[in-house]
Amino acid sequence: MLKVENLNVYYGRIHALKNVSIEVPKGQIVTVVGANGAGKSTLMWTLAGVLKAKSGTITYNGKSLPASAHDVAAAGVILVPERRRLYANLTVRENIIMGAFLRKDPEGIKKDLEFIYSLFPILKERSNQYAGTLSGGEQQMAAIARGLMSRPKILLLDEPSLGLSPLYTSEVFKTILQIKAQGATIFLAEQNAHKALEIADRAYVLETGRVVLSGSGKELLANPKVQEAYLGVRHKAI
Amino acid sequence: MFLQTLITGLSIGGIYALMAVGYSLVFSILNFSNFAHGTIIMLGAYIGYFLISWFYSSLAISLLGAIVGAAIFALLNVSLAYIPLINRKAPPLYLMITSMGVSIFLENMVYVTVGSHFYSFPEIFKKSSVSFFGSEISTLDLFALIFSFIAISGLHLFLTRTKMGTAIRAASYDMTVASLNGVNMNRLIGVVFILAGAFAGIAGVFLGIKYMVYPTMGWITSKAYIAAVIGGLGSLPGAVIGGVILGILETFVSVYISSVIRDVFSFSLVIIFLVILPAGLLGKYLEEKV
Repeated sequence: MLKVENLNVYYGRIHALKNVSIEVPKGQIVTVVGANGAGKSTLMWTLAGVLKAKSGTITYNGKSLPASAHDVAAAGVILVPERRRLYANLTVRENIIMGAFLRKDPEGIKKDLEFIYSLFPILKERSNQYAGTLSGGEQQMAAIARGLMSRPKILLLDEPSLGLSPLYTSEVFKTILQIKAQGATIFLAEQNAHKALEIADRAYVLETGRVVLSGSGKELLANPKVQEAYLGVRHKAI
Repeated sequence: MFLQTLITGLSIGGIYALMAVGYSLVFSILNFSNFAHGTIIMLGAYIGYFLISWFYSSLAISLLGAIVGAAIFALLNVSLAYIPLINRKAPPLYLMITSMGVSIFLENMVYVTVGSHFYSFPEIFKKSSVSFFGSEISTLDLFALIFSFIAISGLHLFLTRTKMGTAIRAASYDMTVASLNGVNMNRLIGVVFILAGAFAGIAGVFLGIKYMVYPTMGWITSKAYIAAVIGGLGSLPGAVIGGVILGILETFVSVYISSVIRDVFSFSLVIIFLVILPAGLLGKYLEEKV
């Protein structure tokens, strides 16, 4: 289980995360929703070890996460960053294989690559193309594939539906459920609150760096405040 | 005459390419022009020279010694001078200025310890030549050309076929994401400098044989810089193409026009490129270049 306690992160003088506490139990999908600039990505980058927290603790199975990003990856906490961030100068296949950088089991890597190609047949078709030539949706598939190649214990997904057509968005969420069914733990940050809350076991609402609400996905979906602020549902003025 | 000029041009181009590859490798990862690279080439030339003239070793041993020695110097350079800055997230400009400092420091260390003499390699190749379609071609030119080709092909294979090579290319595009994939960035930077140093060692020995060995010989890397700019800074194929183009054009200019005007020509060429094609022939990314 991933446990974040009283996390404070600063960007220079800006207090980006304020006393954030979050729990991600094993085998569940936990989501954090919030508007642009609420601190979702900051939280993700901090968990991945790229940004440093000023105070607070991040523990995984009771042990605190290492300080540098590559050690966090080695511990099995893998971030699929916002806007995909594929290596445009590498082929699709090379991008996916980069996810297996730390693995030393060629057989397992081969098997996982087969599995990923079965999950995303389009990537198999495009495997020798440069990643920069993929469409946004295909790029998101490749980015998730790269994350999966690391055999993550916890997969951190930052805005996987950003900039995607509704069709690809559904595809991405379907994939997330498939990955969960394989036994993975997923921590998801999304602006598309509706979809995220629908699939989440547990959810947090982040507002200007603070956790303002938490509960099960269903509870938050039914919460009038959430509906008004994030789901576009208008309640009549009282 | 034409063929002879072409082969000489190609061999000089090969040496420029060797130097430019080291420049470009470092640039592609760290986004700064490593002005200490020329100094590492100079150190490689000294190592190669002393191995041959003091220990009467063969050229192969001398090359090997220069490669290993220059690679070690490059690794020391990056671990002592650059990594502390990188870990503090210093902008590339600071690294560039540091590299100038490293260069001045090492040059003066050579002045203090070895002295300012000009050394020339024992005549191993210089006088021998082979006939090739009626032209006399120096064995050294031919050897330098073939060896540069082999070394650069080897580097290409390393970068495209191995895990670390792929990681280097990945990191040249996005270092942060590479670290998310578990790549230890400091280690990767070390590998890049070892490679650049090894190439500097080869280039140093060839330059030393072709010209002379002296403390400021490293500044000939301004030519490698020109080659890298022509090809597109940070692009390895670009560095090779730029080096070969520059070598051939320079040789033709000195043979058919005048050797005095050679450097004027090279520097004019880089100005023309910077005005018309600032990203070079194969360079793609222009932001944040120093």
